[in-house]
Amino acid sequence: MSKHYKIVVCGEGGQGVLSIAKIIATAAWLQGRKAIYLPNFTTEKRGGVSMAFAQIGDEPIRFPRFEKADLCVALSQRALERLLPFFKDGTVVIVNSMLVKDLSGIEQWKPYRVDATTIAKEQLKKPRTFNMVIMGAMLKCIPGLSVEGFDGALKKQFDSKYKKDPTLKDLNEKAFRIGYELIS
Amino acid sequence: MSEKKFIMGNEAIGRAARAAGARAMFGYPITPSSEILHFWSGEAGSEQGKKDNLVFTQAEDEAAAGFMLIGSVLVGTRAFTATGGPGHVIMQDAFAMAEAMRFPIVAIVMQRGGPSTSTVVYSQSEVTLACFGGNGNGYRIVYSPASIQELYDYTIKVFNTAWKYRFPTMLLSDGYLGKMMDEVELYDPAERGIVMEPAEPYSQGQVRTRPLAAIVPSPELDARVVDGVEYACFRNCLNFEEEALAVNMETKTAFDAVAPEIIEYEEYGDKDASTLIIAHGIVSASVKQAIDNLKEKGVFARLFRPITLNPFPAEQLRTSAKNAKRIFVAESAVGQLGKLAAHALCGTVSVPIVEYSRPSIGILPKEIEALVMQPA
Amino acid sequence: MADIIHNANPAADSVASAFPKCVRVESKPHLYCPGCGHPEVLKALGLAIDDLGIQRRVVFGIDIGCSLLAWNYFNLDTVETHHGRTIPTMVGVKRSKPESVAVAYVGDGGAYAIGAGSLLNAAVRNENILVIVVNNALYAMTGGQESPTTLPGMKVATAPYGADQYFIRAPEVIRSVNSTAFVARGITTVLPALRALLKSALQHQMDGKGFAFVEVLAQCPLNWGTMGDPKATIDFLEREMTKEFPVKRY
Repeated sequence: MSKHYKIVVCGEGGQGVLSIAKIIATAAWLQGRKAIYLPNFTTEKRGGVSMAFAQIGDEPIRFPRFEKADLCVALSQRALERLLPFFKDGTVVIVNSMLVKDLSGIEQWKPYRVDATTIAKEQLKKPRTFNMVIMGAMLKCIPGLSVEGFDGALKKQFDSKYKKDPTLKDLNEKAFRIGYELIS
Repeated sequence: MSEKKFIMGNEAIGRAARAAGARAMFGYPITPSSEILHFWSGEAGSEQGKKDNLVFTQAEDEAAAGFMLIGSVLVGTRAFTATGGPGHVIMQDAFAMAEAMRFPIVAIVMQRGGPSTSTVVYSQSEVTLACFGGNGNGYRIVYSPASIQELYDYTIKVFNTAWKYRFPTMLLSDGYLGKMMDEVELYDPAERGIVMEPAEPYSQGQVRTRPLAAIVPSPELDARVVDGVEYACFRNCLNFEEEALAVNMETKTAFDAVAPEIIEYEEYGDKDASTLIIAHGIVSASVKQAIDNLKEKGVFARLFRPITLNPFPAEQLRTSAKNAKRIFVAESAVGQLGKLAAHALCGTVSVPIVEYSRPSIGILPKEIEALVMQPA
Repeated sequence: MADIIHNANPAADSVASAFPKCVRVESKPHLYCPGCGHPEVLKALGLAIDDLGIQRRVVFGIDIGCSLLAWNYFNLDTVETHHGRTIPTMVGVKRSKPESVAVAYVGDGGAYAIGAGSLLNAAVRNENILVIVVNNALYAMTGGQESPTTLPGMKVATAPYGADQYFIRAPEVIRSVNSTAFVARGITTVLPALRALLKSALQHQMDGKGFAFVEVLAQCPLNWGTMGDPKATIDFLEREMTKEFPVKRY
């Protein structure tokens, strides 16, 4: 019943919450796994809290929602509050430490603090690589997915964009690896 | 030519409509159905779409979209619309006219929270509206798919059902399925031996394999032949109660005659299990997961899932419920599937029908498990 | 009788007493009240259809209200609907079958009140259909209620103390959103001109030029309270109504 690895990503509308979950699920599927993705958002395009669910496994997945998650990713402080009901023993938690400052309630989960904003802006000089840093960190936690497989999936996913801007591929892969290495 | 893809439900619907040879779509944007419009407008504007004479029109509102659809069907076009929520309410005006005149319009309805604007993604609150939403005694066919693969399969099917039986036909789904991404096998219906029903014109067509009089209720049709040319007038406004009665009864007789062929349902789980859960659409997928989970614990339950909500598989449900010791109805609405089930089972079961109503919110497998585990 | 009709001289001046060829003779006498303007508009439309030889190509959409009484008037493919939805219905017809000639026949209530969104947007999208609006300044079939074209001070069922100063001049509105549409206002009392207008409007559609819109000022003796007084009826139509609604091509 909990054979599927369950992921919830939550953040502010416009932060790329849906894309992150969607790309993770698609990449898993492209690597031959079974995957399912479900967005859940409010009416505001910007400014509301967005949440997205992804599940990855080896058997077909019947239902897109679940009660407890194996991996919770909080991109903002109020997103973290929305995620609390999904926490269980052993839930891995990743927070975007630029916006999630107060971790007092969740210390027992030993959250990974990833400052993806600063990394994307200062280290990579491209704020849009924020998502890639987060996804790199996530990938380290999800069993059964390889970095190489993910690179391949991204190449498929962003084929047309990469053709237009070949530097984007290197940049994405770099951002992704930085995120990946942040998780030990 | 069949291929597996990891796509969104709404895209699966658009691709299925294309595979089914649909030629026209009319719609008005509303979450959670808008991607169907996006897909179709992309198709219609593409080189291939132009070659195929595809039509796409974004209407001024849902009533207009519904009536554009009627106009398109009138001249013999395999055409459809997509809507949901408050838009679904507005579109009932057109559905009712299609019911009166037996126009095979196809509508994809993606339910969202209600009443009114509410939430944008999910509910099962539009069952009653979809099945009985007109202003009286109309008949329409409503399918409730439960996976993205079924969105694809049944979108192809609704066109055939509509044109074969000449009743408005709906695919009633929700934003979970529409917005979800999952693996779908896309195929050409011909590969599976599915022959598409021809879309014969009601108007502007002289060659018909079925005369209009065999389809359209008699008071609604005045077809006259002048110099060998048939001119058809479709009447919407009747003068006498007797005429309205005739329309209602002719439609009912026609519907009752074909309903047994149309009815679809699914049963899942151990057939001897004494606990029966009735659910449709995505909730039935959750119930299946719960049944699997319970089985691992040595607890048995079974599912009865109406695939057609209208016509409703009443007789089949009665058979299924006969030996049940406990009966639950689970739905993301209050008393919609519940009423359909209770009406079907009325007087035939001696145990109470317990409704698990969770309006406008998803029902997790865990909740169904808890329901079954609670002491009788 | 049919022969006489079919052989009638189609020249504009002499047709006043002859039925158009596409008219369904069995439907006579028509269903309208004595003195009503609708039959005049329908006759002009029938003649225009005859002139263009498009009887088999026309899909005639008729809206609820007195427009509906045209249901058995013609031998044309006809469909009744309501609340201005005739306009989108004809949009669906024309978009799906461009060789058809789609005509929406609507009253001022259907077109300018409940169906205003459809009318305006059909014009904005330059839909290749013809919309004919019969403007008699009120809702006629439902009992003479106020419509968007009820003139200031007119006493009608839902404005018993007189209508307010606001009303719609639709051709002007249509022109403001569509500079290439065929836009005109005609009147029932000058039939040859109305026939020519409708013929040009149909031709506009057949040439694929987009939206065509003809408003026709028409009398309603019953609801105007001028039944049995043709002079008063015509006076109101030709003097009062044309003051606010100029008859012309736009």
